[in-house]
Amino acid sequence: MSAVATGVGLAVPGAPSATDLTTRSAEGAAPFDPAARIGKKGLRYLDQATRLALCAGRDALNAAGLLTGDARLTATGGGAPVVDAELLVPAESVAVVVSSNFGNLDSVCEVATTIGSDGGTRLLSPVYAPRLSSNVTASEVAIRFGLRGPNLMMCNGPTSGLDAVHWAMVLLSGDRARHVLVVGAEPANDIVGRLTGHEYPFDGAAALVLESPGTAGERGAPVLAGLGGYVRTGGLADCVSALGGAPRAWFAPHQASAEVLPGVLRHRLEDRWGPASGALGVLQCAAAAGHFADGGEGPVHAVAGTDADDAVAGLVLTSPDGATPRDGVTVPDAAVTGDEVSRA
Amino acid sequence: MSEHTGWPIAGTGAVAAIGRSPDEIFDSLCAGTSGLHPMRGFERAYYTGDRLYEIDDRGGAGDVPGRATGFLLAAIAQALGEAGLDERLGDIPVLVGTGLRELRSVELWARGDAPYSAGRLHFGTALRERFGATMTHTLSNACSASLYALSMGTDLLAAGAETVVVAGVDAVTESMVGIADRLQSVAPDTVRPFDRNRMGTILGEGASALVLRRTDDPDRPALGRVRGVAVNCDAHHTTAPDAGSIAAAIREAHRRAGATPQDIGLVMLHGTGTHANDDAEARAIRAVFGAAPEKTLMTAMKSMTGHTSGASGLHSLIVALRAMADGLVPPTLGLDEPIEEAEEFRIVREAAVPADLALAQVNAFGFGGVNAVALVAGRR
Repeated sequence: MSAVATGVGLAVPGAPSATDLTTRSAEGAAPFDPAARIGKKGLRYLDQATRLALCAGRDALNAAGLLTGDARLTATGGGAPVVDAELLVPAESVAVVVSSNFGNLDSVCEVATTIGSDGGTRLLSPVYAPRLSSNVTASEVAIRFGLRGPNLMMCNGPTSGLDAVHWAMVLLSGDRARHVLVVGAEPANDIVGRLTGHEYPFDGAAALVLESPGTAGERGAPVLAGLGGYVRTGGLADCVSALGGAPRAWFAPHQASAEVLPGVLRHRLEDRWGPASGALGVLQCAAAAGHFADGGEGPVHAVAGTDADDAVAGLVLTSPDGATPRDGVTVPDAAVTGDEVSRA
Repeated sequence: MSEHTGWPIAGTGAVAAIGRSPDEIFDSLCAGTSGLHPMRGFERAYYTGDRLYEIDDRGGAGDVPGRATGFLLAAIAQALGEAGLDERLGDIPVLVGTGLRELRSVELWARGDAPYSAGRLHFGTALRERFGATMTHTLSNACSASLYALSMGTDLLAAGAETVVVAGVDAVTESMVGIADRLQSVAPDTVRPFDRNRMGTILGEGASALVLRRTDDPDRPALGRVRGVAVNCDAHHTTAPDAGSIAAAIREAHRRAGATPQDIGLVMLHGTGTHANDDAEARAIRAVFGAAPEKTLMTAMKSMTGHTSGASGLHSLIVALRAMADGLVPPTLGLDEPIEEAEEFRIVREAAVPADLALAQVNAFGFGGVNAVALVAGRR
């Protein structure tokens, strides 16, 4: 199973562009302002992860040429607000896969603690109702952009972002969608800080549009990177070994020892942008697209999860020149034969 | 093997308020036994509607964390046992659909009642410990989550996997019960799917699991076959379902299975007992099957298990397998006066009815407009 990325979108404080992800950092950057990017209207009752996901998702769809317009909501004469955007492909052909572990935790905790402290439900605000279901981000993204294909919300721990990319590729290869918007989003708030012990967790989102090389070719869409060779294994050494090949660079989880892939250019995105949990894998793929845009060589490996977690996932990204499947040069066999299930 | 022939089901497992195994659950359903009971884990005085379809496993000592995980492990262990699979799963994919993950444990943590760690919010950690599983995926797709997991599982089989475990799980959260209580002017007395006087849904809990194979095991006849699964999204409104989109999912499932409405002997309705769901579901079925489908029986098991959310799709599928194997369709309780849209549907009421069934449709629709429809063939 393989795919190409044809659009990237970021809602990352301090990183306007994918090429910034390996060079800048969040330190000293102003928080990302969703209202400035996609308009204030319609954001009021959404949680932070969903706001960030809408911004990153919109930019990825625009960049891939699937959507025109900035997707702001505009009021009409007393009727329902209108989304200022036009989807250029059939709505049923676009799937959404969102990854987030902590997106709605603050809402759940707020409601539960209010019930406990008040001794009842009288003080609960109805605006929390939609946020209590963990898939609120995936569904709000579908609603804003009118995407009626399969809609998945992955909440799969530290590997979740790369897992989301995997499921996007499964949806493409199974003909369930022609285009997939993948978003990784995590909020920084008091609950996340307390639960994870991280003082400055990632507060942002990254998005990709994935398609088959054939679909991208038919549309004349820009290819930013090739993706394939997904594995999910019991530990870091196994993962790196299963990915195989000789990467020119790799995106490492924060605890990877120096003995893993010695001499290979190593990017630790969480040192720059904060612990990113379910957003990390998507952020890594966006950064790989930036690496290739800057003339960097492939293949590049993305690895999320550590030996302290339940599993470690990995993905191979290839440069746009080498992204065409079956050229036998840079894409590992697993990426083109779809046998990653037996390898993983 | 294509979806038309169907993917063999090698094992099933389930727990719910009315039983700790598929057998117990099916027998309870056929006997018309409801799992509705005064709430056990929460403070009753806080709520207008103080009854739930809970699993009684707390031992009366207040609430404890990790219950959803416990339900899930139990259901998967049953399914592996029935399939004759070793419990060391290794790289066999395990796909878990859930609406509420371990959010109840997070609630207890937030109130200072129990410690919890972020690594147990998804189920991979427990699946690694118990089954040595590394290819684990937790997807949080509301009330259609386990059928979404089923569709993903069949896609993995089509891509070459030999064995896939798919599961669904949910434990009731106090935040979800609380917000429903806040929004309802009158609490529902019970779940009354498709009844004119239905008052809303009441949450249940439990887990459900299947072992799917790519090929038949000559020594173990399959329990049934997954013939096709369709998934889509309304992209319309988070809580107001879209009948047109649901009908599209039903048609797509039929197309994938190569089946027509006349082939379908049983529809396991999503049937939550809410005004919006039952109305949209009935209109979607009418659009595909006609107003008075003669050959199709229907039933809504949530009238006895409550809304088991992420587990519900596979709960229904497992009950469909038993209904086809035993030739018996459990009834829908609380349905006295059907809504107009469903007036001519053959929804089984009051008592289980015998029927010769070969093919069943399972509906599951969730918050956010996530729809999933599966077609499953019985053991033949």
